[in-house]
Amino acid sequence: MIIKRAILLLAAVLLFACLSPKLAYASPYEGYTYSYWGEAVHSPIAYLPSKSITGQQLGIGPWRSPADLFAGLDGHLYVLDSGNGRIVVLDSNWEVVRQIKGFQNNGKQDGFNNPEGLFVTESGHIFVADTENRRVIELDSSGAFVREIFAPKSEVISSNFEYFPRKVIVDKAGRIYVVARGVFEGIIEFDSEGGFTGYMGTNRVRFDPVDLFWKTVSTKEQREKLIRFVPIEFNNVDVDRDGFIFTTTADKQTLAPVKKLNPAGIDVIRLNGNIGPVGDLSSNRSAFIDIDVSGNGVYRTLDSTRGRIFTYNEDGSLLYVFGKLGNQQGTFKNPVAVESYGNRVFVLDRDQGKITEFTATKFGSLVNEANGLYSIGKHDDAAKLWKEVLRLDANYEMAYIGMGKSMLRQGEYRQAMTFLKLGNDRVYYSKALTKYRREFMREHFGIYMTVLIPLILIVIVVRRSMRHRKGELKQDAVSQGG
Amino acid sequence: MRFLKEARYSLHVAFHPFDGFWDLKYENKGKLRIALVILLAVTVTMILKRQYAGYVVNFNHPLELNSFDELKYIVLPFLLWCVANWSLTTLMDGEGKFQEIVIATGYAMLPLILIYLPNMLLSNVITLREASFYYLLEFAATLWFVWLLFIGTMTVHQYTVTKTIMTMLLTVVVMGVIIFLGLLFFSLIQQIVSFVYTIYQELSLRA
Repeated sequence: MIIKRAILLLAAVLLFACLSPKLAYASPYEGYTYSYWGEAVHSPIAYLPSKSITGQQLGIGPWRSPADLFAGLDGHLYVLDSGNGRIVVLDSNWEVVRQIKGFQNNGKQDGFNNPEGLFVTESGHIFVADTENRRVIELDSSGAFVREIFAPKSEVISSNFEYFPRKVIVDKAGRIYVVARGVFEGIIEFDSEGGFTGYMGTNRVRFDPVDLFWKTVSTKEQREKLIRFVPIEFNNVDVDRDGFIFTTTADKQTLAPVKKLNPAGIDVIRLNGNIGPVGDLSSNRSAFIDIDVSGNGVYRTLDSTRGRIFTYNEDGSLLYVFGKLGNQQGTFKNPVAVESYGNRVFVLDRDQGKITEFTATKFGSLVNEANGLYSIGKHDDAAKLWKEVLRLDANYEMAYIGMGKSMLRQGEYRQAMTFLKLGNDRVYYSKALTKYRREFMREHFGIYMTVLIPLILIVIVVRRSMRHRKGELKQDAVSQGG
Repeated sequence: MRFLKEARYSLHVAFHPFDGFWDLKYENKGKLRIALVILLAVTVTMILKRQYAGYVVNFNHPLELNSFDELKYIVLPFLLWCVANWSLTTLMDGEGKFQEIVIATGYAMLPLILIYLPNMLLSNVITLREASFYYLLEFAATLWFVWLLFIGTMTVHQYTVTKTIMTMLLTVVVMGVIIFLGLLFFSLIQQIVSFVYTIYQELSLRA
């Protein structure tokens, strides 16, 4: 009877094992994050490739080296098809809404020449960095020409300045920011009228004592052959809703490849202390080529070294990593642009002329939601979601920190300490410890003192009596000797 | 009982170094076994400290903790110091015998236990803001240890102050030289071994 039952049970278990839902190993890449110690730790996959589309599939002819992508506020996707000099607008169902192949410029037919950057404002105006034509074009939402902005004119700019705008963004106030090729001074800033106002957010020159030494000992001829010390140029920009400008630098040496510039051009990016947003922690470092800012201060960077998308929250903590270079569905040959809309992420592949759409898995959307609540200060609501996250990934340090902070606010200091320790947050652990210590002393001070004070008294009495006896013995000895 | 008395004497050395080290050398009060027990105790203390120091001051990766590492960081430097100091002072008219050097160095390490152990307990109840006290105490322990080592060396070898300082600095240099020679020796041995092994392989395959 028992054996029969056991066999039945085993059969049932095996059956359930077969029925269990398809796991995330269908993905062509692995999910991971970095622990506090800088070790890559396995993590569930946050985003899975759901769809991909090429120009042929849309019936409008293949895209030739598309350079940029933009997800508008209405969910429309703007693709800058550089090789064909057109902009393709897709709606959220991947239907072609419209193609902009050219425009009427003062009565003449005009077009793009190898444009590299695209930006769409909230009102739907399209800005294009028309690289080879050395200008920035503004079109209205229907694709009609509004104006063109040429190279900045100022006394500070030398006459032989070669202007090749690569990326363009427009902030809420209508100021236009342009990243141009070979411009080390920073981002070129225009006012809303298109007049040049100045450079902003220059990358610092790296100072290396070793280089300085070689420079001082080398001859003039040798010096001329050395690398020139110029700041590194930005390679991409994005702007968030509050007007902060996020920039990336492709240099593999820098420890700050991502910058968050405030309107004054000062870097205000928040780092979580140990590891900033640098991508992979290996000797072959990540090179970021695009950045996308989504809500709640979350930003994603696209790495060209390994084709990965790193997602960071506003504190600079790594949330999750996905994507890979390769030939499978969901991997890239030469990714150049990343955009997100809601829980979906789009990556544009230049060589394949293809857009891949990634959709958040349960884990990914949980993390997104929890992080969103966490960043606006709703720690208690976030804690419930962090708990769910921990059920899926017990190595997720952010979740431990989130739960720890929530417990700290609820007054459960002891538990908060445990969680903050698991999340490796020493500052908040210390805060919890301070509170816990105070609480502990308030409760137990009486007991300890009732034990301690008699103990001290006993020790004093015993020592005194011993000394007394020793003194007597000595006196005896003296009297005997005398 | 005798052991306890000897152990008590090591405390006397720590608190009255001039008197203590003198008696240690000339009254034969220093015992090798006590020195070795102190060495062992320091090793254990360091192991405990790495594992159980409070979280706010403990930056060790728990997965990388290995008690055998303490042999590398404490026992080996201790032996190296003694050997280097002895080889140096025999050439520099030091009066100390090897055993005396071992004993003096061992006794000098006592403050490390005396301060590190309570400090470890303390570190479990301090916050990040109070962590500087922990580091201060740790610094005090090191300072005390160096002070005792200085007095010990001076007394054991009957040196002047400047000569003692010179000797101690040179000892560190000699330690480096010994490590270098050791590594060189092992690397050469390794090459010889692999050479012989290759010849053996060659012969055995041809035969």
